[in-house]
Amino acid sequence: MHQINKLVYYFAILLIILSINFFLPRVMPGDPLSYLSDPGADMPARMTEEKRELLLEYYGLDKPISEQYISYMVGIIHGDLGWSIYYGAPVLEVILGRLKWTLLLVGTSTAIHVPLGILLGATSAWARGKKKDTGLLISILSISSFPSFFLGILLVIFFGIKLDLFPINGAQTAFATYSSPFGKIFDILHHLVLPATTLVISHIGGTYLLMRNSMLGVLGEDYIMTARAKGLSEQYILHRHALMNALLPIVTMTAMTVGFLIMGTIFVETVFAYPGIGNLLYNAVLYRDYPLLQGIFLFMTIAIVGANFIADTIYVRLDPRVKNE
Amino acid sequence: MTLLEISDLKTHFPTQSGIVRAVDTIDLSIRERETFGLIGETGCGKTVLGLTLMRLLHPTTTVEGTIRYRGKNLLTISEAEMRLIRGEEIAMILQNPTTSLNPVMRVGEQIAEAIRLHQGLRRRAAKEKAVEMLDSVRIPAASRRANEYPHEFSGGMKQRAMIAMGLACDPALIIADEPTKGLDVTIKAQITELIKETAKEKAMLLITHDLGVARALCDRIALMYAGELVEYAATEEIFENPLHPYTRGFLGSLPGNGLVPIPGMSPSLIDLPDGCRFHPRCSHAKAVCRKKHPELIEVEAGHFVRCFDA
Amino acid sequence: MIEGRKILGSVGLGILAVFVIVAVLAPYIAPYNPHQMSRPMEHPSSRHLLGTNDIGNDILSEIIYGTRVSLFIAFVVSAISMLVGTSLGLIAGYFDKLGFVIMRVVDIFLTIPRLPLIIVIAASMRPSIWNLIAIFLIFGWTMTARIIRSEVLTLRSRYYIDATKMIGGSDCYILWRHILPNVIPLVVVQFIMEAIHVIFTEAGLSFLGLGDPVARSWGMVLHYAFECPIIYVSDVWMWWMLPPGLCIVLTVLGLTFVGYALEETLDPKLKSPAYGRGL
Repeated sequence: MHQINKLVYYFAILLIILSINFFLPRVMPGDPLSYLSDPGADMPARMTEEKRELLLEYYGLDKPISEQYISYMVGIIHGDLGWSIYYGAPVLEVILGRLKWTLLLVGTSTAIHVPLGILLGATSAWARGKKKDTGLLISILSISSFPSFFLGILLVIFFGIKLDLFPINGAQTAFATYSSPFGKIFDILHHLVLPATTLVISHIGGTYLLMRNSMLGVLGEDYIMTARAKGLSEQYILHRHALMNALLPIVTMTAMTVGFLIMGTIFVETVFAYPGIGNLLYNAVLYRDYPLLQGIFLFMTIAIVGANFIADTIYVRLDPRVKNE
Repeated sequence: MTLLEISDLKTHFPTQSGIVRAVDTIDLSIRERETFGLIGETGCGKTVLGLTLMRLLHPTTTVEGTIRYRGKNLLTISEAEMRLIRGEEIAMILQNPTTSLNPVMRVGEQIAEAIRLHQGLRRRAAKEKAVEMLDSVRIPAASRRANEYPHEFSGGMKQRAMIAMGLACDPALIIADEPTKGLDVTIKAQITELIKETAKEKAMLLITHDLGVARALCDRIALMYAGELVEYAATEEIFENPLHPYTRGFLGSLPGNGLVPIPGMSPSLIDLPDGCRFHPRCSHAKAVCRKKHPELIEVEAGHFVRCFDA
Repeated sequence: MIEGRKILGSVGLGILAVFVIVAVLAPYIAPYNPHQMSRPMEHPSSRHLLGTNDIGNDILSEIIYGTRVSLFIAFVVSAISMLVGTSLGLIAGYFDKLGFVIMRVVDIFLTIPRLPLIIVIAASMRPSIWNLIAIFLIFGWTMTARIIRSEVLTLRSRYYIDATKMIGGSDCYILWRHILPNVIPLVVVQFIMEAIHVIFTEAGLSFLGLGDPVARSWGMVLHYAFECPIIYVSDVWMWWMLPPGLCIVLTVLGLTFVGYALEETLDPKLKSPAYGRGL
């Protein structure tokens, strides 16, 4: 029952987001076409007659609004997100072409920052009030005060330019020929280091703080006292009793973290000119490519809401109390 | 034979509003196989006394005096030595089984882990022993129940599981903190019966505010008020010949004796009254009670009272 | 630890005070009008302490005026968000049916990812301070409304509010006199959280080029620096990127420290002697 309610809820959210996407260009002053060729944009998209025709057909402005809405929804179901003005290709195609790089970046960062955040948070809570805890807390609060793009720029300057250790641009060396598949893998990983590090550093604070709070809460629980009354060692209690209970809220948080990471890629991919979806969004903003911008918005939103739904589902499986309700 | 001897015990802990004197100079001893009842209102420090014996309090707590268990002073041995005593020699059954059981661990496993630790049994054998323990506290279908999580147990069953956990390593002394709190009448009677059986073999410190349960189970009873003992004697003696006004008040509040509550509230352990700590609520308070703090005196063999009137 | 918290809080307040003074006195402190043009790309000198940018504006003056823009947006958005969020939270916590409706709306707002939507809306509007403020306000109130509501539900269950009702206090009187004073500390913490969020998001939007190009915030200064093709080639980044970036970092750090100091003194769980008693 709980699951069905959730499903209905997420479906409603999806409908609302689609509607926002539909109405936004239509409620803006002027018709969508004049707004699409905004002279205020840094570099307004040049419209050929042919493109104009394509857009007119896409928006279907000559039809009544209800019909436009239905044909928009039908289009979405068929994967039709519109036509990118700048790239001159279907929006979905443009997005899918960039997807693998964002997945690589977000995947790598999640795989590093979640376990690291959990470890540091648990360590901090276990040493509550001691120097180790205070030191960790202040350090992490401090690095969390850096906006990710600024952090990325600093890493570019120090590790990319001053020390010349890592490439600062793109996901692989342009026009490179590799003697072996390992060469290619190494090149990709080499390009991944700085952007992934930026994402990890700028997002570790959330996981750390949540784990620390969760752990502090658990350590004050009666069952921890019970465990100590049995004569169990501190290490054992930490691993077997405290950790599992403290991790439960982290599961939900991790999905939200993935959401934050996806948003974080907008800045990090921009700084490193990393060819993923975040960088695509920056270009869409720069060239005021609205169909592309809205397509990416929709794509990111669905990914983030989807991650939340998955987290809810996993949580239900992990916590024996919810499972049996 | 004395099993546990507490002398001059003080447990104080600092808070933002001042020092809480939760246990303030307590002397008492528990003999082998004796059931000793510690009775008092909520907030009189009886649970803190139990936790002090187990050394389970926050490191900022100051504990003074001696706790001698089979000749060893529990307050001076190392933490490693203390861990070997917890659960194996002295077990504590904490109050409120609902929050005292780990919600995400199977009940059987929570019993088995202590057995594995102290008796060195393998996982499998420990699990079998845990099922045996659940069976011995009369949980039906114990082998199936051992694989369930605490929230699948009823209140009475959780309390049984807590008792099984306490008994698992066959300790010499059990500290049971309010084992019958919050249970309805029939379940309470069953749990009381269960504790009575287990207490035959072992020494027990029963912490409760339920005089009826204490009378049914204990050999001796002590009454605790505002961090100190005010009266203690053999159970029958307490009920036949109560000397301290607090004891009499407590007995008067029993259902069979007219349900008359003691007026007033127990004092804050941060700001204790001068003189006798009970004098603000005492109907017999005299001038001396406000000024001088009475000592615990032995009025008859084995009957101690802290009152100028006795 | 408690002492340490106080020190951190004071450090935070000190940092914030400096920035507020700079923002208020900007016209007196700044050596130039930030729009005044002189020779572009000048290196730091006694005339231009932090050099000039690609169109010849004095960078130091730009940053000093940028303090105004960044802090103004953060303050206005947080203040209005708290007003709206607290009012709706109080209403939602006190009147059950209305509360149900308000909370469903809050749920939806909290599920929709903020940043992508803000970017889409910002990109389809003329970039200006007021438009940015309006966009931030769409989401600003939601979390506060939820937190205040759950606090009101707790407070409501306390006896004294029922007692007031029995002696005939009106709903408005109870909300104003008994509930509001109790939620004020929470509102203060939320204000700080929201301010941090707005500073970050505004800097991010500006970095993407969606900020006000006239009244330039710190993020906007960074945007133009980043867009400049020779930024990494020489040491230009040292005076054009580092100072505005560090201003953002310090402001957020100041707010974080103050928030942290407040939060832990407000949490009653952390005050109780039983908390974490075993450890």
